[in-house]
Amino acid sequence: MTKADAIVFVVDDDEGMRQSLKNLIGSVGLRVEAFASAQEFLRSKLTDVPGCLVLDVRLPGLSGLDLQKRMAEAGIEIPIIFITGHGDIPMTVQAMKAGAVEFLTKPFRDQDLLDAIQQALEHDRKTREQRAEIEKLRSRLDSLTPREREVMGLVVAGLLNKQIAGELGTSETTIKIHRHQVMEKMGAGSLAELVRMADRLGIPTPK
Amino acid sequence: MLKLDFLAQRVSHTIWQYVLAVVSVGVALVVTNSLERYTTLRTPFFFLAIILSAWFGRMGPGLLAVGLSTLAVDYYFAPTASGSGSGVDGRPFILLFSLSGLIACWISVQRRRAEEALKRVRDELETRVEEQTSDLRRASEGLKAEIAERKRGEDVLRERANLLDLTHDTVFVRDANNVITFWNRGAERLYGWTREEAVGQVSHHLMQTIFPAPLEKIMLELNSTGRWEGELIQAQRDGTQVVVASRWALQLDELGKPIAVLETNNDITERKRSEESLHKAQTELAHVTRVATLGEMTASIAHEVNQPLGAVVNNASACLRWLAGQPPNLEEARKSAALIIADSHRASEIIGRIRALAKKAPPRKDWLDINETILEVIALARSEAQGNRIALQTQLSDDLPLILGDRIQLQQVILNLIINAIEAMNGVAEGPRELKVGSGKDDSQGVRVAVRDSGPGLDLESLDHLFTAFYTTKPQGMGMGLAISRSIIEAHGGRLWATANEHRGATFQFTLPAGGERMS
Repeated sequence: MTKADAIVFVVDDDEGMRQSLKNLIGSVGLRVEAFASAQEFLRSKLTDVPGCLVLDVRLPGLSGLDLQKRMAEAGIEIPIIFITGHGDIPMTVQAMKAGAVEFLTKPFRDQDLLDAIQQALEHDRKTREQRAEIEKLRSRLDSLTPREREVMGLVVAGLLNKQIAGELGTSETTIKIHRHQVMEKMGAGSLAELVRMADRLGIPTPK
Repeated sequence: MLKLDFLAQRVSHTIWQYVLAVVSVGVALVVTNSLERYTTLRTPFFFLAIILSAWFGRMGPGLLAVGLSTLAVDYYFAPTASGSGSGVDGRPFILLFSLSGLIACWISVQRRRAEEALKRVRDELETRVEEQTSDLRRASEGLKAEIAERKRGEDVLRERANLLDLTHDTVFVRDANNVITFWNRGAERLYGWTREEAVGQVSHHLMQTIFPAPLEKIMLELNSTGRWEGELIQAQRDGTQVVVASRWALQLDELGKPIAVLETNNDITERKRSEESLHKAQTELAHVTRVATLGEMTASIAHEVNQPLGAVVNNASACLRWLAGQPPNLEEARKSAALIIADSHRASEIIGRIRALAKKAPPRKDWLDINETILEVIALARSEAQGNRIALQTQLSDDLPLILGDRIQLQQVILNLIINAIEAMNGVAEGPRELKVGSGKDDSQGVRVAVRDSGPGLDLESLDHLFTAFYTTKPQGMGMGLAISRSIIEAHGGRLWATANEHRGATFQFTLPAGGERMS
């Protein structure tokens, strides 16, 4: 994954500041998209690549903190780096609690901002990978027949084939066939791997 | 008229005396005649008539009685030849009789006179005694009346004194030498000395009175108008100071010489204190408002200037990064430098705008008496000075021109200098703690105000930085006071500077031009 795959969004109402942020972030080869207000940012169509948001706290209209809340409500999970002219502690605490990656006070050292951006992008990249993996597992799970799902649930719960057969009122052989199908469809090489997948998908497993 | 009556009375009295003489002789004649049978004595009743007539009528009727008796005796009883025929010559007898009659008459008259003289003397004596007695009585009555009068006067006085005791006001009287002669209960209550303790003391010494003006001036006004009113600071018995509203009335004797002063005082310490704290609160409020405004302005300036400064930093960082690339991106670096220039211009524009804004609110300019301005500040600072055991003195010159300026701003400067001095002296453990605030004329006929302390003084290094913003030697200080003070004074066309005192401490002083000159 190259740097160009990621986008840094900038929202700041001060034109000079916006321009300089664009310049600075651009100077390390990152793609930058800048907006003058929160509303403008919300209206834009976001490209589905790893990204982060450099957000000024004090904005006309919707403030930076308001935008953070809106994004959380709308399920937009982009890591946020707050920048402010005069940050106070309560404001910082509120922003960090709501999941901000970093809180920088202007004027800040360029390296601090760039480091924070790198960190945020890395974080977003990982989140996206995880999300993609779960997505993949979920589609595999969806390919199982209802009977196979049932069997999978009992297998990861730690029951033996015989017990499962008893539970479902069929023969042990039938269960063996179902079990094979489950392992095949889920792409699990071992029982342990299947249990891990079940855990990530939220299917109950014995502790 | 009275005289006529008296004369008439006198005449009729005399007539009656003669009538008495005639009647008495007549009676003597009748009696003698009727007793002729029993006795040969013919004369005794006539002598009686003569004596009676002489006694009551004096010489005239006496002589008349003698004459009539002689005639009667001669005619009726003298042993004459013709009468009785005895042949005896009756003339010697008559002669003897009339002689005896004359003698009797004279004796009687003399006796009567002597009697009367005696009586007169006695009467006179009596009259005199009576007169003297009545004089004495009168004198004693007068005395009694006087005593009663005096007693009434004393009662009135006592009543009045009692009334003076009733009043809440403090009332006392002092004589021409300021020795207390009367001291009411109000005075006992306010000052703590009893009447017995206070009477006989010199009032100003007893109460350590601090006058608002030189005493000679006050006395001049009192002597010319008979009254004086003003505020005094006096000490109570326990040494606590009270502020009183004092009214003096002068009492003169008949010659117009002052003999006593009635001093009526009202304790206004509380009122004064609340006035002071109100004033202080107002001044503090004004100060806080200004500081708050300054704070807000600072925050606003910080934000406004921060934006372009932040942009400058960002663009400069970006510029370095474009240059550091392999190969360096000169085009982007050039763009960054251009952005830096633009941002810097923007920052300086913002500062220019703020400066213009500050100029829009020039200080108020009113005609001020600098001494009043100073005294108002002193009133505020006095408790602070007392709390720090500092003797705060003023030395204000009388003949100062009015100045044109912003009262609150100038008071802030003075207060700032005083508070600085107090804080400076607080750092010194020993030595006298004296703070002198003085006013006077400067060389160019303006006004000069000096605040002189006995603190640690100034070293050469701090003299250089004193008036620089954010320079402070105080842990709590912001380092703005003297910088702001200097800009206020300079805005008034004056100068503010500091010097180290020869012995100890420092003097801060400023000048202000006389009204209206060189005003910016």
